[in-house]
Amino acid sequence: MADGVVHVVDDDPAVRDSLAFLFEEAGLEARIYEGPSALLEVREGLAAGCILTDVRMPDMTGLDLVRRLRAEGVNHPVVVMTGHADVPLAIEAMRLGVSDFIEKPFDDEQLLGSIQAALRAGVALSQRETDRSAILERTASLSGREAEVLAGLVAGKPNKVIAFDLGISVRTVEVHRAHVMMKMNARSLSDLVRMSLIAEQQSEPK
Amino acid sequence: MNLPASDRAPAARTWVGLGIALGVAAAGLALRLALAPILAERTVFLFFVPAVVLASAYAGLWTGVFATVLGVAGGAYATSRTGALDLGDVVSAAIFGVVCASIVTGGEWFQRARREALSVNRDLAEREARLQSLIDTAPDALIVIDEAGVMQSFSKAAERLFGWPAAEAIGRNVSILMPEPDRSAHDGYLGRYYSTGERRIIGVERVVTGQRRSGETFPMELAVGEVRTARGRMFTGFVRDLSERQAAEARVQALQSELVHISRVTAMGEMASALAHELNQPLTAINNYLKGSTRMLARPAPDLQRLVEALSKAGEQALRAGEVIRRLREFVARGETERRIESLRSIVEEASALALVGAAEKAISVSFSYDPAVDQVLADRVQIQQVVLNLIRNAVDAMGENCRRELAVKIAPGDEGMALLSVADTGPGVSPDIADALFTPFVTTKAEGMGVGLSISRTIVESHGGRIWAEPTPGGGATFRFSLRTIDIGETAHG
Repeated sequence: MADGVVHVVDDDPAVRDSLAFLFEEAGLEARIYEGPSALLEVREGLAAGCILTDVRMPDMTGLDLVRRLRAEGVNHPVVVMTGHADVPLAIEAMRLGVSDFIEKPFDDEQLLGSIQAALRAGVALSQRETDRSAILERTASLSGREAEVLAGLVAGKPNKVIAFDLGISVRTVEVHRAHVMMKMNARSLSDLVRMSLIAEQQSEPK
Repeated sequence: MNLPASDRAPAARTWVGLGIALGVAAAGLALRLALAPILAERTVFLFFVPAVVLASAYAGLWTGVFATVLGVAGGAYATSRTGALDLGDVVSAAIFGVVCASIVTGGEWFQRARREALSVNRDLAEREARLQSLIDTAPDALIVIDEAGVMQSFSKAAERLFGWPAAEAIGRNVSILMPEPDRSAHDGYLGRYYSTGERRIIGVERVVTGQRRSGETFPMELAVGEVRTARGRMFTGFVRDLSERQAAEARVQALQSELVHISRVTAMGEMASALAHELNQPLTAINNYLKGSTRMLARPAPDLQRLVEALSKAGEQALRAGEVIRRLREFVARGETERRIESLRSIVEEASALALVGAAEKAISVSFSYDPAVDQVLADRVQIQQVVLNLIRNAVDAMGENCRRELAVKIAPGDEGMALLSVADTGPGVSPDIADALFTPFVTTKAEGMGVGLSISRTIVESHGGRIWAEPTPGGGATFRFSLRTIDIGETAHG
C-alpha cells in the first residue's frame, strides 16, 4: 500500500461520497472537495498523495484545475475521470502531465490501480521534494566564496581554472571545495553535480 | 362609327343595294310590260315590290327609299302605257308608297339588328379568343367537367400535363386523370356531393395525386370551382403540377426536414453528451457503493450499519439514473405539438405526395386505399406527416435495387377504434439481426442514415397513444404499421 491521501474533487455529492466510501473500504485515506475552488483554497498545505478530479464541473474544468495547481507549484499526480472521454480531451490531459485518465463509470480495480500508481508517483515526488528542500537548505548554508567554487565545480572547471577565475590560490580553492563537499553532504563530485541540478531544475516553476 | 376595319363594307353595301334596286326594278318593269296584254291595268305596282324588299333588306333605309321612288316612277310609266293616269292610279301609287315605307322601315330594322348582331358576335369572338389564349398560356391546367364528370374542356396545359390530347380527353370521364382508388370512386364523390352538399374539395386547394396517360403518377395541387349553368352544374378544376416545382420544393422541404432531423439530432447529441455525464454520475456512484460494500463484506467483521447506508445510497442513485432517462424521453417527445381533429386521409395524401416525388423515376407503382370509417383522428398533423414521410421514404429507399417495386399505403380499421396505417414495400425486408433494434435511436442500415427516423416516429406515434411495428410483407418486403386513435364517428357523422 502506498502512503498518501487521495484528494477527490467532484461537484456531484453522490460521486464524492461513494468514492470516499470505496477508498476507505480499500484502505486508503480520502479527502473530498466539492469543487476545484475548494481544493485550490487549501493548496498550500495539501497533504502528500494524489488528486482525483472530474472533468466537467460548473466553475472550472478538471483540466483547468490541473493547470492552476501546476502554476501554483502543486505537483501532486492527478488522475482525471470523465463520463465523456474523447481524443482531444485525452491529449490535452496527457499534455498537462496527468498521470491517468479514466472513464466513468469505472471498474473499482481499475480506479484503485490508477490511484495507487499515482500515490506511488506522489510518494516518489514528495521524496524528491524533500531531497530538494534539504539540498536548498544546505546550499543556503554555503558562504559566498564556497558558492562560487561550487558553481565552478558544477560547470566542470578544474581547480586551477576556478582559482584563476576567482583570483585566489589553488590551495584555497581546495579548502573551499572540501568545505562544500562536507556541507552539501556529497560523497563525490558527481553527487554534488546531481544535487545542484535538482536544486536548479525544480526551483524553476516557482 | 368605331369600326375601322369594316368601315368600307356599309358603303359598298349601299352601292350594291342601289344596283339591286335598279336592276330588280328594271326587271319588274320589263316583266310588267311583257305581261301588259294579259294584265291590262291590274297590279302595276306589285311588280316593283321585290325591288323594294330586296334593296331595303340588303342595304337598309336609303336604298329602299330609292327603290320605292323607282317603283312609283316605273309604275306610273307602266300605267301611262295602258291609258291616262286617273285618280285610282294616284291612290294606287300612294298605297304602294305607304306599303313600301313600311317594308323599308322593316328592312332598316333588319339591317340594324344584323349590324348589332355582327358587332356583338365580333366582341364575343374577341373575348373568347382572349380567354382561350389566357387558358392556353396559363401554366395551370384547366379542366371543365359536367355534372356526370365528363370532361367538357381540356386546356393546352392539361394536354401537356396529363398527356391526353384535348380531342380525346373531352367526352371522357375525368376519372382517367387520377389513380386508384380515386379513379373508381370519383363518380361516387360527385354523387355524394349532390346528395349531401358537403364540400370536400370545392373551394379548397388540396394536394392530390394525378395520373398521366402513361400511368405515371404525380403530385398536383387541385382547386375546384362550381358554375351553375342552364345545362346544369359544371365544375372547373385548376391543376398545378407539383412534380417539377415540387421536386425543387420537396428538395427544399426534404432538406428542411433533414435539417429538423439534424437539429433534433444535434440537440439530441448535445443532450446525449450532457446526459452521458448526468447518467454516469449516478452509475459511478452506484458502482462505487456496491464495490465498496463488496470489499467490506469480504472482511471478517463488516460494519453492517455502514453497509446498509451504502446500499440505500446506491438505491437512491439508481432512482436518480431513472429520472435522467425519463427527462430524456420527455425531451425527445417535447415540441410544440398541436393536436386537432384531422382527416387521416388528407394527412397521408399530402405526406405521400411529398414523399413520392421522384418515385416515378424509380418506376415504383404506388397504390393507396382508404377506409372512410376510420378517417378522423386527433393528431398533430406535422408530426404524423413526418412519420408517414419517414415510412414511405424508407420504403422507397428499400426498393432501390429490387426488380419488383410496389408500394401500398393503406388506412384500415384496427382494434378498438384505432385507425391502422400501413406502408408495405416489396424490398428485401427487415433483416433479422436489426429487427429488434429497428426503433432504437442511431441504428441504421443506410449509408448516410442517422438512425433516428424510426425512433422519432415511434416517439411520435406513442405520444399519440398509438403503436408502431414492422412485419414482413406477404410475398417479400417489409410492412410498417402504426395505429392512431380515431375520433368517435358518432360525434362527427352529422357534422
